[in-house]
Amino acid sequence: MSRRVGIVGAAVTPFKGKWYEKTYYELAQMAAAGALKDAGISVDDVGAVFYAIYNDIFERTCIPEHPLQGLLGMQDKFGIRISTGGATGAYTISAAHAYLAAERFNVALVLGVEKATDCYDFMSMSATPEVIKTIAWSGDSFFEQKLGWTASDSYAEVVLAYMDEHPEDLKPEVTAQISSQLSQQVKTNEFAQRQHDQVTPEEVMNSRIVVYPFKELEICVYTEGAAALILAEEDTAKAICKNTGNPVIWITGLGEANEHHMAGKNQKDLSRIMSDHLASHRAYEMAGIKNPLEEIDVVELHDAFVHQLGITMAEMGFVPLGKADSLVEEGIMTPGGKISVNPCGGLIYCGHAVGASNIMSAWSARRELIEKDLHRALVHGTGSTVAQYSATAVLERE
Amino acid sequence: MKKSEKQTVIPYEAIPEVGSYIHRVEGKDYLVMNDSMYTFYRRSMGEFSPFFLGLRDEKRILGCRCSSCGIVRIPPFLTRCPDCDFAPTELVEVGEVGKMINTPPITYFANSLFQQQVPSGRGRIVLEGADTAMSINFYTTKGILVPGIVGKGTEMKVVFRDQRVGEITDIFCVPTSELSPEQVSKTGLQESELDWEKAQEPKLPEANAEDTKRFKASLKELKDLVDEMNKCERARQDIDDWRRIVQVETTGGEIVLEIDDGDLRVSEGRSTKPDFTLVCKDIDTLLNGLAYRGSLTQAIITKNLWISVNREFTTIFKLERMARSLVKSKRK
Repeated sequence: MSRRVGIVGAAVTPFKGKWYEKTYYELAQMAAAGALKDAGISVDDVGAVFYAIYNDIFERTCIPEHPLQGLLGMQDKFGIRISTGGATGAYTISAAHAYLAAERFNVALVLGVEKATDCYDFMSMSATPEVIKTIAWSGDSFFEQKLGWTASDSYAEVVLAYMDEHPEDLKPEVTAQISSQLSQQVKTNEFAQRQHDQVTPEEVMNSRIVVYPFKELEICVYTEGAAALILAEEDTAKAICKNTGNPVIWITGLGEANEHHMAGKNQKDLSRIMSDHLASHRAYEMAGIKNPLEEIDVVELHDAFVHQLGITMAEMGFVPLGKADSLVEEGIMTPGGKISVNPCGGLIYCGHAVGASNIMSAWSARRELIEKDLHRALVHGTGSTVAQYSATAVLERE
Repeated sequence: MKKSEKQTVIPYEAIPEVGSYIHRVEGKDYLVMNDSMYTFYRRSMGEFSPFFLGLRDEKRILGCRCSSCGIVRIPPFLTRCPDCDFAPTELVEVGEVGKMINTPPITYFANSLFQQQVPSGRGRIVLEGADTAMSINFYTTKGILVPGIVGKGTEMKVVFRDQRVGEITDIFCVPTSELSPEQVSKTGLQESELDWEKAQEPKLPEANAEDTKRFKASLKELKDLVDEMNKCERARQDIDDWRRIVQVETTGGEIVLEIDDGDLRVSEGRSTKPDFTLVCKDIDTLLNGLAYRGSLTQAIITKNLWISVNREFTTIFKLERMARSLVKSKRK
């Protein structure tokens, strides 16, 4: 019988388009110190650290976590890094949970950090094309990188394939409305990169096509920042939270799935994000959730692209496949609807500091559960080519 | 460093000079270094060697067939089938015509290595005789690549580059509907055998009095807008270190846009040395894009705006970013 594991502390740094003032060393320290302070414990109480860092090239070093071990006060203790593309943060939460549940440690630090926009393209004299290139080294190195593979064009493949099957869904005016709504929701996230960037659906519709069918205001923005959680096994979690006065946010469900990276017979069906379907339903089974729309209050979903947000919500069972637009048209996720989706503004407005993103999402979900006295949240991460990877976690407040 | 005559694995233009600069944030100085991470390879293609040598030397496309279930995979990833307890596979030749498995995306804003090649398409083709799909670049021979030309099920023909080096880019595909029956059936069709439609600058109609009047009014608005952009720090940063002279032709008149390292200038008339040309019937197509009431990229896709040099999408994006920066700054 494994032990229960809960979140007892959390913190994020400001998410910024560029942190000239800090390296990833200090960003990591800021988030770790903040989470420990939130939990009211010392780093001496922490038995293990789980690093969520996606891309070595962003940090300009291999094993980018190695300098952090001592800088975080974790010298001579267990430290392991997880890197699973965009799903890095969610997978890292899952890994930390497993070690704690298996009684290896009592308290763990989950730390995500990424410094993406130090990359710079000296041809266009701007950062973004080089950031995209750095991510593009993640494509299949024999058969896809040299074709101009990017994260955007691989997710666009999935979205277009879905639209082949469901041509009436993901209407441009609906995706524009979702983006606009997220830009309103971000106003209460003081750590967000675009806290003050509210846009109208018309502006979204008019924004330029980046990769067909994605428009600029429908895509997450690359960000620099860090986020941290303190996880603890049941007895320790209760003791910590008795001191802080905060409730323990229990991790009651976890699910993960990685699909094939190529399409066709016995491989990936591009019109589906089966990774999201499998990961979420595995987490539901573990948490005992039968009807996610009725039993989950908040979803912090990895919205790399607005269209993918819609498909992922359908894959996770909140609406039927082919009816993603009902999230808006039937008021399911609009203000006052049945479910709150990305109250932090999502990665499109809070920002995508890749390894830290899903951990920021968990930070936000915990904050929602505590501050709004809600019961249950779902945290999600998606990553790799063609939405190949997914990891999800169910969080509950007793 | 001198530019070498040889073709290098890193584009010469992408390499920064050794150097650093100071960036000031809230009164404090921070050092920013030009830097790079690079590793060179002599990388073995291992078990993929027959596939890549087939492309390079024989203009053949190989797949692998499972000896147990018979599935034919392209590219030939495997010497053993993961669905049949790793039963051995054998190499087989597949066809050069196939269908797109789904509607493929088109990239307008590419990663830094592909900025010169936009708009570019990458889709997945299921070739005759194969069960799985292979990533491949696709083009149209009939002008600029826009959505709607290639969709799910579109029949495509694989074309071989004239110069092949043993890479996946040795091949690409075009719709068979743009080829003759002989070209479709020919094995080893090469790019030099295609009839590529040359980019032709569109001819504009003769201007009437109304066109001229509208041009004057819109030009005044455009000049006011450019003045605002030049006063907006954020918009100016969008064209830092960038210099271009853009000739714009419209029915009502001609304009020169000059981008000069943080400054944008607009004037009526012709430039003697433009870097590229934009053509639109209605000056408001340009004005709306710069005023954030529309998108210049979208105007190019819908063929309301013609661009003489595709790689100058980079400049179009910078102009569009200026438009957004101005709107954001005003909002704040």
